[in-house]
Amino acid sequence: MSSSQTTTVNDPHLDNTTTTNNDTLPNNNSQEPSTSTDSSQYRSSTQYSFKPPPENSKTSTKPDLDDNEEEKRDDSMYVCNICLDIAKESVITMCGHLFCWPCLNCWLETKPQRQLCPVCKAAISKDKVVPLYGRNNEKQQDPRSKKSPPRPQAQRTEPDNSQNYQGFQSFGDAGFHLSFGIGAFPFVFFGSSFNFNDIRQRNGQNGSQFEEDQFLSKVFLWVAIIFFCWLILA
Amino acid sequence: MAVNMAVSRIKREFKEVLKSDEIAQCSIKLELANDNFTELRGEIAGPPDTPYEKGTFLLEIHVPETYPFNPPKVKFITKIWHPNISSVTGAICLDILKDNWAAAMTLRTVLLSLQALLAAAEPDDPQDAVVASQFKDNYEMFCKTAKHWTNVYAKGPHKFPDFDAKVQRLRDMGVNDFDARAALSRHNWDINLATNDIF
Repeated sequence: MSSSQTTTVNDPHLDNTTTTNNDTLPNNNSQEPSTSTDSSQYRSSTQYSFKPPPENSKTSTKPDLDDNEEEKRDDSMYVCNICLDIAKESVITMCGHLFCWPCLNCWLETKPQRQLCPVCKAAISKDKVVPLYGRNNEKQQDPRSKKSPPRPQAQRTEPDNSQNYQGFQSFGDAGFHLSFGIGAFPFVFFGSSFNFNDIRQRNGQNGSQFEEDQFLSKVFLWVAIIFFCWLILA
Repeated sequence: MAVNMAVSRIKREFKEVLKSDEIAQCSIKLELANDNFTELRGEIAGPPDTPYEKGTFLLEIHVPETYPFNPPKVKFITKIWHPNISSVTGAICLDILKDNWAAAMTLRTVLLSLQALLAAAEPDDPQDAVVASQFKDNYEMFCKTAKHWTNVYAKGPHKFPDFDAKVQRLRDMGVNDFDARAALSRHNWDINLATNDIF
């Protein structure tokens, strides 16, 4: 009763089935995905799936597509890979797969020990998904008001402005605390290092740069402590 | 949310199945077994160039409330002689139906994976140990037995009159049809060993 069979089906159509198949439908009217949920309709339609496609299936009805149809084709690009509906509170993984945030969060909570992308099984984590903000973003409710935890924040990098020296203007910036702190040596180091934690965590910016900064601040902290001890001993 | 999501996803998957002409070519079929989209019936055609060729295999699919975060429960209704499928219960040993399930998989990909499993057995990771050892030790006998089962249970075209005759002899002794065929299959169609096994 063990299990490790590796026969999985490579499925290039998974993401865009609805898009491609619309082209080859023999008759769009009869196959129009009805909103009806009548089960008898589905029963009868299964018979269709066994028939070979009619010969004229390649003579596509593309020009006949009305606006509604066109809209659906466009929408199918933005379907969540879990609920198969248009993605709401969309997030995208580093491997490029689109999900609703509640869906992805539910999947990650189902398997806390194996955090894999549901589509390509790449390693993913909550911290490394990117939220997508569309134009009508402000109409959306605050995700935090819902049951699922808030969607992760986007990471935003300030444009590089090193060319015109603005050091004094960015006085409040945590990085500059260091250079000004040297005057009142060890004490300010304590202050600035704690500042670091505070500001970054509040912003939810916990990327690798943050880790690097934290490491640096720790190093300086120890230098300060050693310096302090040396002062006392001497 | 979970129940609604399972149902709405199955509905969407249905649309996907009936739109997909690729499915029609591979001879895969999906239909409802009850009205609330939790029990379904799948059907796959045996892949060509295998002992299951031209057979039609029925599957029972149960969709859990936590679908698609947990895999559907699938087993064979049609009796089949395969190392990774129990010849008695139809239980399937396939990683994607257990630990390797991913929420983006659909009933369509599950059915296609099962079809692929029929074409590529994994005797080193068996569900039915007897079938797996026959597969490894006596592949020719395995193929004949699997073809015979396909003929009897899955409407396959290859008849084996000598196998049928042996089954008939055991039935004459009061053994039921399936028990006789299973016992003979387990013992490489040696009627003496099969008789000893049963009585």
